Amino acid sequence: MTVVRTLTVNGQKQRVAVEPWETLLDVLREKMNLTGSKKACNVGDCGACTVLVDGEPMNGCLLLAAQLEGRSITTVEGLAQQRHGTAELTPLQQAFVHEGAIQCGFCTPGMVLAATALLNRNPDPAPADIADALAGNLCRCTGYSGIRRAIQRCANYREDGTCAAKCAAAEGHEGTDGHEGGKARRRARESNEGTVFAAGDVGDEPRISDVKSEIHAAAPPRRFSTVGVSMPRVGAADKVTGRALYTADIKLPNMIHGKILGSRIAHGIIKRIDTSKAAKLEGVLAVITGADVPETPYGVSPARYDEHVLAKHKVRHAGDPVAAVAAIDERTAEAAIDLIEVEYEKLPALLDPFEAVAEGAPLIHDQYPRNINTHVEQNFGDVEKAFAESHYVREETFTGNHIYQCPLEPHAAIACWDHDGTLVLYTSTQVPHYVQYTVAHVFHMPLGKIRVIRPAVGGGFGGKAAACPLDLCAAILARKTGRPVKMVYSREEMFHYGRGRHKQHMRFKLGVDRDGRIRAFKSEIYLDGGAYSSFGVATAYYAGSMIPTLYNIPNYRYDGYRVMTNKPAAGAMRGHGVPQPRFAFECLLTMMADDLGIDPIEIRRRNSMRPDTRTVNDLDVGSCEFDATLEAVARKSGWYDKYGKLPPGRGIGIGAGGFVSGAGYCIYRGQVQLSHEKPREHFQKRSIFPHANAVVRITEDGMAAILMIGAAEIGQGSDTILVQCCAEALGIPPQRVRMYSGDSDISPLDLGAYSSRVTLMAGHAVSRAGWDVVEKMKPYAAAMLGCAAEEVFARDGRFYSRRDEGTKARSHEGISDEATKRQGDEGLVAVSHKDEGVVWEEVARRYFNDNGPLVGTGCYKPPEGLGGDFKGATVGTSPAYSFGSAVCEASVDLETGKVRIERFTDFHDCGTPINPLAVHGQVEGAIVMSAGETIMEDVQFDEQGRILNPNLHGYLMMSIKDAPEIFSGLVDSYEPRGPFGAKEIGEGSTLPVLGAVAHAIANATGVWIKDLPITPEKILRALREKSAAKRGAELVETCEVGAE
Amino acid sequence: MRVLTPHCLSEALDLLAGDATLTPVAGGTDLLVSWPHRPKDNLSLLDLSRLHAELAPMRMTDGHLELGALTTYWDVITYAPIAGEFPLLIDAARQVGAIQIQTRGTWAGNVANASPAADGVPVMIAYDAEVVLGSRRGRRTVPLCDYYTGYKQTRRAADELILAIRLPRQRRDVHWFHKVGARQAQAITKVGVAVVHGEAGWRVVANSVAPFVCRCRNMEAALESGLHPTGPEELRAIVVRDISPIDDLRSTADYRLNVLARLLYFAPFMPGPANA
Repeated sequence: MTVVRTLTVNGQKQRVAVEPWETLLDVLREKMNLTGSKKACNVGDCGACTVLVDGEPMNGCLLLAAQLEGRSITTVEGLAQQRHGTAELTPLQQAFVHEGAIQCGFCTPGMVLAATALLNRNPDPAPADIADALAGNLCRCTGYSGIRRAIQRCANYREDGTCAAKCAAAEGHEGTDGHEGGKARRRARESNEGTVFAAGDVGDEPRISDVKSEIHAAAPPRRFSTVGVSMPRVGAADKVTGRALYTADIKLPNMIHGKILGSRIAHGIIKRIDTSKAAKLEGVLAVITGADVPETPYGVSPARYDEHVLAKHKVRHAGDPVAAVAAIDERTAEAAIDLIEVEYEKLPALLDPFEAVAEGAPLIHDQYPRNINTHVEQNFGDVEKAFAESHYVREETFTGNHIYQCPLEPHAAIACWDHDGTLVLYTSTQVPHYVQYTVAHVFHMPLGKIRVIRPAVGGGFGGKAAACPLDLCAAILARKTGRPVKMVYSREEMFHYGRGRHKQHMRFKLGVDRDGRIRAFKSEIYLDGGAYSSFGVATAYYAGSMIPTLYNIPNYRYDGYRVMTNKPAAGAMRGHGVPQPRFAFECLLTMMADDLGIDPIEIRRRNSMRPDTRTVNDLDVGSCEFDATLEAVARKSGWYDKYGKLPPGRGIGIGAGGFVSGAGYCIYRGQVQLSHEKPREHFQKRSIFPHANAVVRITEDGMAAILMIGAAEIGQGSDTILVQCCAEALGIPPQRVRMYSGDSDISPLDLGAYSSRVTLMAGHAVSRAGWDVVEKMKPYAAAMLGCAAEEVFARDGRFYSRRDEGTKARSHEGISDEATKRQGDEGLVAVSHKDEGVVWEEVARRYFNDNGPLVGTGCYKPPEGLGGDFKGATVGTSPAYSFGSAVCEASVDLETGKVRIERFTDFHDCGTPINPLAVHGQVEGAIVMSAGETIMEDVQFDEQGRILNPNLHGYLMMSIKDAPEIFSGLVDSYEPRGPFGAKEIGEGSTLPVLGAVAHAIANATGVWIKDLPITPEKILRALREKSAAKRGAELVETCEVGAE
Repeated sequence: MRVLTPHCLSEALDLLAGDATLTPVAGGTDLLVSWPHRPKDNLSLLDLSRLHAELAPMRMTDGHLELGALTTYWDVITYAPIAGEFPLLIDAARQVGAIQIQTRGTWAGNVANASPAADGVPVMIAYDAEVVLGSRRGRRTVPLCDYYTGYKQTRRAADELILAIRLPRQRRDVHWFHKVGARQAQAITKVGVAVVHGEAGWRVVANSVAPFVCRCRNMEAALESGLHPTGPEELRAIVVRDISPIDDLRSTADYRLNVLARLLYFAPFMPGPANA
């Protein structure tokens, strides 16, 4: 019963035929092609589909289109033009772009609309008004800090459309934070303090637009033009206007839709599948089951490929893919899925690793005896002897929780086959190359016949770090039907797919000497792996290998067991394997410090890692300013005035952590090849091929540089960082670099966005490609300048001769890195000769006239020989390590047990940042994500293994009202192995958080909660038990006194 | 699936009288939360969106505050006269979901959906609200505190439509509402309680602790009789007779009972050592 309704959409009155069941969101997206409104939960939990209805914000997914006769709708596409009559951004949109309010961009349209409605009714909102207005809009990336800043500072952009912050950023070299950093650096050196850059809501540090005029006046010489500048994100304008295309937004001609049927039970044998009713349904074009998919198993670790595209005979978790359908539309595909009949022979569901390893438990996979997927055993030094010699030894058990990445954008894939047999796969992934590799492996195709296109990606956090069933099913269904097939997971299906954090059961024992110096540490961990290996082998190693990077641990034993259970496979999530053990270790260290009467920050400083150290497990730590981060958080948070001095219900806690800057070795070994054809190569302690590869082509007029690299922008900001590195190397402003990172036909191989590798590895590749171009241009520049080629350097869009330099270049103390070598020392002093030199594009044109295309290439291989010689020594190796410390301040309502995370003070050593604004954005996002993980996030299962909360109102991520105030600071650091001195921030920033929160709660309540999440229920129970124990003790005492 | 869109109230009541399977829909925020899973083929909706003139008005008469059936939470939040006399309506409205729900969801819908966790209902019961039901057969009012008969069961007959909710104006000196959710917004209530004292005496109403939102009559009686508790355990022993909390995804029965007792004990109106 189709009905016709008249709606005014973005000022245009139109009549639209709607089905009675259609939501406004579906009508906007499917019938009006307004894909700026995002479908992230589809049940009113997240606000990504917020639109304005007669000026009031509402969720598009909760509105029946049929009910909206005569209403006026504003979507994100309608904002900019409404304001100016052109596509110019509104002041609020400008503020979002420039204040770091946008990362993956999937929540952005809804945020902007909710904030627009707020500003329309209240042009000058207080922080509490902002929180009220945006409480229905979830963000997984930013920690809401940038969003708050943008709304608070919107007035600056309103008064002056050419706001100074905008100009500064647009000109690139007039950047703001870098100058501020330089200034702070000088200040810091003078006062002998460690802090350099600072951002945050604790407003005593000058920052970005607040201080711009002062900065302009006092701009000191800068070593680099573009690197170190807080330039706004590449692509932010597209995201803030709804123009950015995510996979689910793309429509191809003749496209149809696919859907997967997941198992209803957690463990069982498939006895019979009847697809006949589904196949007969009108509009259904193909139905496939396990019988129609390749026999080749796939997965992540080549030694443990144990997944099939669709279940062959057995299902291992609720939601395990059993069959798939392609139909003319998604609704028909869903209806067809419901018509498929599957008969199972049920097996007992094993939902706990201890249950799964028990004698007599059924095997989930035949190849893993006792359901043990992998056992890691590492032993360094003599732990037992060291415990015997320790002054104090304490042993505790801790339990983690089931945490899912929950990127706002659900997985989506579109597959189509070209006439020549090339598969074109659009997919929401953080690892385009591994998807390509997996597809090649499963379908026995050469990599060269597979083109992976990565559209905009709405967050990953590890959940999109492998090929998923959508990629593979879409390819099969597209092959079968000869039409492009789109498949999109619902939020519920995202939960059933899983790949979240491993829930870890940890028994930790730590021995220290009288002064709190660590003598020995022993850990035994059972990782709840779920039904498939996925990343789990690496996870089990990471859970052990990263512990000794932070503190000096002379004797260390680690036993890790990854156990299969009948739950969705656990995978790699931000901080891969480490956050839960790090939480447990930090808690234990703090407990022991308190027991010994040593301040918890002091005990960390006594044990902290030093630069240029080889750890007990053979990891090479280079730059390390961990100690400086501890000192900085203590000072900035007022630790010594607060710890132990706060009233009941208020607490402060410390946590620390760090991570790799890129894995030293590739997930698969050997050449880039068809993995099923060639036997695995014997492991060698070097990279066989470069992990990051870049090409730069200069347009023929010399005005633009086209940068091609397969590094995946997933919201973390890698496109921006890489444009900055490349522009710096080329010596041109970043606005002249255009990035192509989303198409494997265009961009050479990069392993993708995982293990925090992009800044370091891809940063090197793009810089080298830039320098390669400059090398080719130098003879032409030299001829024009009348000097020798080796005397030339490029900067800010011009070539200069070193001879012309009035000031003699002075060398920068202690730095002899690649950038200095390639660009010369001139980079270290101010370039002040406006009318000297020759124009960059003219040099490029001359090169082209003589030689044709001006192209540069660059690549990066990790250093050879990383790691020790024991089993698993490769996991945890990296060219560089990050370090950080965080102080959390929390209050606990002792009536209800409710925790409020009030404030975070974080300092990190991420080397020298390429883009401080992006770094702070990562820290702010990590703090909110991980604080939520500590107190409220948890996937829950019933006794049958079905997920009880596969949605964003049952699985709780923090809203803007829950998010703490955050101060993010960076300490002065320089990593010689990183590009321009940089190392990672994205994952390391999660690690200090859990322990800091747990400690703050313990400090507020007097009870330690050792199993995550730390819920009000657990806090109240512990408080009651404690007071009962105290009463019991008093009673005993009274009786004893009485007896005397 | 069908959507019927009557243009006036009398047409709506005719349709309801003729078809007992019709589900009236106002804002639809409860209905659509389960939309992706709900079988829709045999669903028949009665869309109330064009009855705005008859069902939306909100007015303060001499004796009552009347919320027409299409009155949204946002209407109440932005209607100044309410803040003085019925402040808890605003407190509760601001804790329903988030602004996108508040602008669309209606008070009558909250009543009709009959969720035990409904955030709008405890405060209305505490203000002695009555539900005005209309049908071809005529009108009647049912006290909201008697409206529910079991989990998701109400006294509304299939041909009846909620026309309005009426709250009597009285002198009241205690208005107190507390919602405990697992996060600060967009949270389904673990335990909530509204307390009002006025000419009619004490009203204590809790949600998420029984199959439907209910008055805690033992607690009300204890307050009437001048209770002077010495600890939360004393209140726990009373209120346990009023409620039947369960363990579920969001919390535990134990937590719900304990927290309800503690909230009441530490509440500003409670006589006793906590507020001494």
